[in-house]
Amino acid sequence: MAWTPLRFRVNGHPREIPCPPERILLDLLREDLELTGTKRGCDLGTCGCCAVLIDGRPTLSCLTLARLAEGREVTTIEGVSPPQGLSPLQRAFVEHGATQCGFCTPGFVIAATALLRDHPRPSRAEVERAVAGNLCRCTGYTKIVEAILATAEGR
Amino acid sequence: MSSAEPVRTPTRLLGSRIPYIEGPLKVSGRATYTDDLRRPGMLVGRLLRSPHAHARLRSIDVSAARAMPGVHAVLTGDRYPTPFGVLPITHDETALAVGKARYIGDIVAAVAADDELTAERALAAIRVEYDLLPEYTDTHGGLVPVAEPIHARVKDGSNVQKEVLQHFGDVEAAFAGAAERVHVHGRYAGVNHGFTEPLVTLADATPDGRLTVWSATQVPHYLHRTLHEVLGLPMHRIRVVKPEVGGGFGGKSDPLPHEVICAALSLETGRPVKILCDREETFYTNHGRHPTENDVRIAFDAEGRIRAYDIDALIEGGAWSSFGTVTTYYNGVLSMGPYKVPNFRYRGRRVYTNKPPNGAMRAHGGTNIRHSVETAIDIAAERFGIDPFDLRDRNALPPNSTTVNDFRITSTSFRRCLSEARRASGWDGKFRRLPYGRGIGLGCGFYISGSNSPIHFTPKMPQCTVHLKVDMDGGIAVHCMQADIGQGSNTLMAAIVAEVVGVDLDRVHVIPVDTDVSPVDIGSYSSRVTFMMGNATRKAAESLRDQLLKATSRVTGHPVERLRVATERYEVAHRPEVGLSYLEALHAAMETQGALVATGAYSSPPMGGTFKGARAGTAPAYSFAAYVAEVEVDPETGVYRPERMWAAFDCGRPLNRLAVEGQIQGSIHMGLGQFMGEAMDYRGARLMNPALLDYKIPMPQQMPEIEILLVGDDDPEGPFGAKEAGEGPLIATLPAMGNAIYDAVGVRCVELPLTPDKLLRGIERREAEGRAWKGH
Amino acid sequence: MHLDPFELHRPATVDEAVEMARRHAGAFDFLAGGTDLLPNYKMHLNLRPHVIALEGIRELEEHGVERIGAMTRLAEVEGDAALAAAYPGLLEAVREVATPLVRASATVGGNLLLETRCFFFNQSEFWRHSLGYCLKADGDRCHVVPQKEKCYATFSGDLAPVFLTLDARVELAGPEGRREIPLAEMYDAHGDGIHRTKLRPGEILCGVRLPPGARSWRTTYRKLRLRPSFDFPELGVAAAARFDGDRVAEARVAIGGLETYPTSYPSETAALAGERLTEAAARAVGERIRAKVRPVRNTAIAPDYRKKMAAVFVRRALLALSGGAAA
Ligand SMILES: Cc1cc2nc3c(=O)[nH]c(=O)nc-3n(C[C@H](O)[C@H](O)[C@H](O)COP(=O)(O)OP(=O)(O)OC[C@H]3O[C@@H](n4cnc5c(N)ncnc54)[C@H](O)[C@@H]3O)c2cc1C
Ligand code: SF4
Ligand code: FES
Ligand code: FES
Repeated sequence: MAWTPLRFRVNGHPREIPCPPERILLDLLREDLELTGTKRGCDLGTCGCCAVLIDGRPTLSCLTLARLAEGREVTTIEGVSPPQGLSPLQRAFVEHGATQCGFCTPGFVIAATALLRDHPRPSRAEVERAVAGNLCRCTGYTKIVEAILATAEGR
Repeated sequence: MSSAEPVRTPTRLLGSRIPYIEGPLKVSGRATYTDDLRRPGMLVGRLLRSPHAHARLRSIDVSAARAMPGVHAVLTGDRYPTPFGVLPITHDETALAVGKARYIGDIVAAVAADDELTAERALAAIRVEYDLLPEYTDTHGGLVPVAEPIHARVKDGSNVQKEVLQHFGDVEAAFAGAAERVHVHGRYAGVNHGFTEPLVTLADATPDGRLTVWSATQVPHYLHRTLHEVLGLPMHRIRVVKPEVGGGFGGKSDPLPHEVICAALSLETGRPVKILCDREETFYTNHGRHPTENDVRIAFDAEGRIRAYDIDALIEGGAWSSFGTVTTYYNGVLSMGPYKVPNFRYRGRRVYTNKPPNGAMRAHGGTNIRHSVETAIDIAAERFGIDPFDLRDRNALPPNSTTVNDFRITSTSFRRCLSEARRASGWDGKFRRLPYGRGIGLGCGFYISGSNSPIHFTPKMPQCTVHLKVDMDGGIAVHCMQADIGQGSNTLMAAIVAEVVGVDLDRVHVIPVDTDVSPVDIGSYSSRVTFMMGNATRKAAESLRDQLLKATSRVTGHPVERLRVATERYEVAHRPEVGLSYLEALHAAMETQGALVATGAYSSPPMGGTFKGARAGTAPAYSFAAYVAEVEVDPETGVYRPERMWAAFDCGRPLNRLAVEGQIQGSIHMGLGQFMGEAMDYRGARLMNPALLDYKIPMPQQMPEIEILLVGDDDPEGPFGAKEAGEGPLIATLPAMGNAIYDAVGVRCVELPLTPDKLLRGIERREAEGRAWKGH
Repeated sequence: MHLDPFELHRPATVDEAVEMARRHAGAFDFLAGGTDLLPNYKMHLNLRPHVIALEGIRELEEHGVERIGAMTRLAEVEGDAALAAAYPGLLEAVREVATPLVRASATVGGNLLLETRCFFFNQSEFWRHSLGYCLKADGDRCHVVPQKEKCYATFSGDLAPVFLTLDARVELAGPEGRREIPLAEMYDAHGDGIHRTKLRPGEILCGVRLPPGARSWRTTYRKLRLRPSFDFPELGVAAAARFDGDRVAEARVAIGGLETYPTSYPSETAALAGERLTEAAARAVGERIRAKVRPVRNTAIAPDYRKKMAAVFVRRALLALSGGAAA
């Protein structure tokens, strides 16, 4: 079993890391790279807690083979956070009470970051559709949707 | 009587919208949850679960597993057989099955290994021989003596775990003389908490004889006790730490088997061990809301006043007791508000079955019974031809009264809940006036603001203690074992300190729960934290403030009574230019004693009757609710949607509006889930949907537009007038929906969840009976 | 949740992929977006020692109005304005698949070749072991319709019904060469329900071809499920029609989510040709189809209800095509 190390970019930095073929990206990020901001809620594509950006596209890391990230750019929640302080979206999540237990929050932030990049002024329905792959058990989504809409209006 | 505006005393910070203090960590992925932690040399723990619902363990051969390279320990039930359970009176759980397995998923063995793969191979190498026993999967069958009771300690060889019989007043006479009698037979599937963070524990037994356990728990103190009881270590050598917790809703309040096993594996191996349950295991652990069947009979006099309740609840326990004894009481006694009920009879029975245990879930014990009662009241209103609001208003429990079972009711703004919900929803123009397929409905709620009765009585101690420490840097460290699991209690604790001491919020640091340093609070359940922790925190903060005022007095020469707290400053009330800044006062106070410490504690006052079970349901305060739902039903498919909800809630004074709103919105979401589609779907003993794909938690598009009306007066005993908003807000959601659907299509909703196929069947039945509704 | 070890192959062309498939005949799976295969692998469903990833093969990724490469991501279909304008029903169906996060990876090919689903199959190793394995994986009986030959798992892809109503064809490449067949013939209507398609061993689905006339059809898709996202169809109805003035020239209905393969109903819709698409006509088609479908109890919603809804959804879908309000 001779595989070459996996080469890809993580949060802007090139990484090279041993990675067997069956390694799931979520496991690689959390266990090998210690990027624990990406959460594991179900491991089966049914909660959205594990979302990351792959080449800018919000994707479920629990249903992605790490080796298929070869040569790609993976951005995790750690990577969408500016080095100092918070992004306007993150700030809105805090101020609007869009995070309670916070376990779903990284996934929502990832999904919403991509939404606002592609659709700077989404309607409420568009926001609801964009986060319809993310489960939140605490907030009832109301404040999450409000925070995303407020971010869009704020720019 | 209640005036239009709630009565409130002024505050600086409390009562505003206070973002969570740990919010920045959570939105940036920097908040640390248990599974984010790792320790050098950490092993992976894995659990072997019984594939049979009821089976004697004839033999377990672990020799092959033990011999595998990379396997460090293999445990079976005989090693730590001490029974435990959240209630001291019903210790019937063991960490690993002893003698027999009682449900599909019951843990029979555990391994600790170098990695996941090795651990799984080791599990596969364990040979268990089972003798299959009869499976008991329904409550009715368990009421009578059975061949092989699930637990030895049961009544008459049946599977009845607990029976409660209560009678106050004269129910027979009340029914005999009633002008109207209503009966509802409600059936409720079990539901699961569905928190997003799966169950997980990390344990590290170290050579100094100490054991540290990090766990996704909402009651660190009970876990601490249980580890002590089962593992035999003195409590002071066990340290329980609660990292951030990804939701609990009751599902992380029992001490759970995997937590004990994880600690045991660490003790066995002398290495750190982590057990992360997957979602399926998390569903098997369950402890969710009990499947319930209930019969609610209500007698009314000719004026529509309630004369009596006669209630019977048959509650499915699953394999263990968990909180079940409390559940069995609650299903009766939590029907005692928000209405005056002069005569009351209740029989509650909780029956073991060979399924995952049921336990406490948000609005524990108060949800299913409430739906049946509120449906019955709606039926009565229709029969009397009285508006549902008027009928409820006529029956409202007054403030400062006592219920027939001796609940002490202090503050209630229930009648204001009613009037505000009625006004805001435009009820009078809509009720029975919307076209066929559209409907509006009212449901009300009542819940405890903290159980007056702590689960453990030994030693006798307050329900909550809070410590504060300030050193020369001016930061105030707050220590308390209350468990923030996302509800915002850390933020509230900090805000109360900041409010009382008069400092900026960022001076206050809430120290993560760590039993080595946090004084005991009995945890996040029964919606008790704001009330009890809030009062304890307030006392601690007042003590600290008094020390600062005394120092200010000493320096300024003005007596303490003349001083007042301003922002980051203590000054003479009539000469504000004279005073000390917070830091000046602090440093002055430190001159003699060094760092300041202060403590505060809360114990609920004596209350309740003297009969057996009198304490169940007693609380220092109660919340009240009146919710209106407006729905749209497609009568041809049975598909429906909640469009709007008006949630009038009396939580006393909302101390953090942002958090209270979040609790109400989240509660409505959870209540809608139970109403619309969530169910622990069993075929026989087998859970068909141990997965988030098939367990139907609602999505954003299913949420109604919600208007929140916080209408409570300040509670006389609550901290700054607050009561609870964590659990009660769920309850009224269900009956509001049910009664709205009735208004829309004329079908009573007494079997939950109400999936479209069920509703369509109801509509078809109504049509077949020739009962027209709104011309259809 | 880790995966058991396998060998991963990354061919650069279809020919290479076919060659690898030939070499590992019977011991491999193709991996497209993986949103179906990987959950199944995590549950230890029919694991294979070799996985051939189709990602990165250009030919499979190209998409336009006449041809959609099999590796086109559902998110790309959603974002392709020309496709959406040409086949509104396709867009409706795509948007109803799973969730946006799944659609970022999920492919058109994977959707058409989705493993069939069943309450007794889409379960963990532990769960299936506990009950006893079934025909479709590791066992020798069916828990839904107890017998030993046939599996009744449900085809739950959302796109197939729409493509069927558009008379789509599929391009296949395999060890025996390339061929193109109608999509309808790809599904094995008379098989054992376990091997759900008539693809030959090692065959790759390269793309979907839409006939030039397809653009003149009006299309629509209706999906039954409990939640507006995540959930697989419990019934998926696609309807398409071509009009001649105010009369139907030709109409088609295809249904997924009910049986082991997606099905078209040509004889049930034939009567619409040359007629006005009235409420009564649409209702009659719905009733005829309802009489024909045979869902079984292996999903979240009871089969009798799904059957009843087939009639309602068909009627509504057809009426929506006529431009009339969906009554
Ligand atoms: C939470 C969740 C919800 C879902 N909900 C829905 C839903 O509502 N509707 C729906 O339709 N689907 C749903 N899905 C299933 C799946 O995401 C989609 O059907 C998707 O389109 C499958 O595509 P894929 O590329 O991911 O398939 P893969 O998983 O890569 O492949 C699926 C199967 O097709 C084979 N295959 C794939 N491509 C080819 C090819 N080109 N040639 C030969 N064989 C091939 C694979 O070997 C495999 O057997 C859901 C999935 C999840 C995880
Ligand atoms: S239909 Fe029968 S054989 Fe097919 S997956 Fe379901 S249980 Fe197995
Ligand atoms: S962990 Fe990936 S979707 Fe739940
Ligand atoms: S904040 Fe807890 S799950 Fe979303």
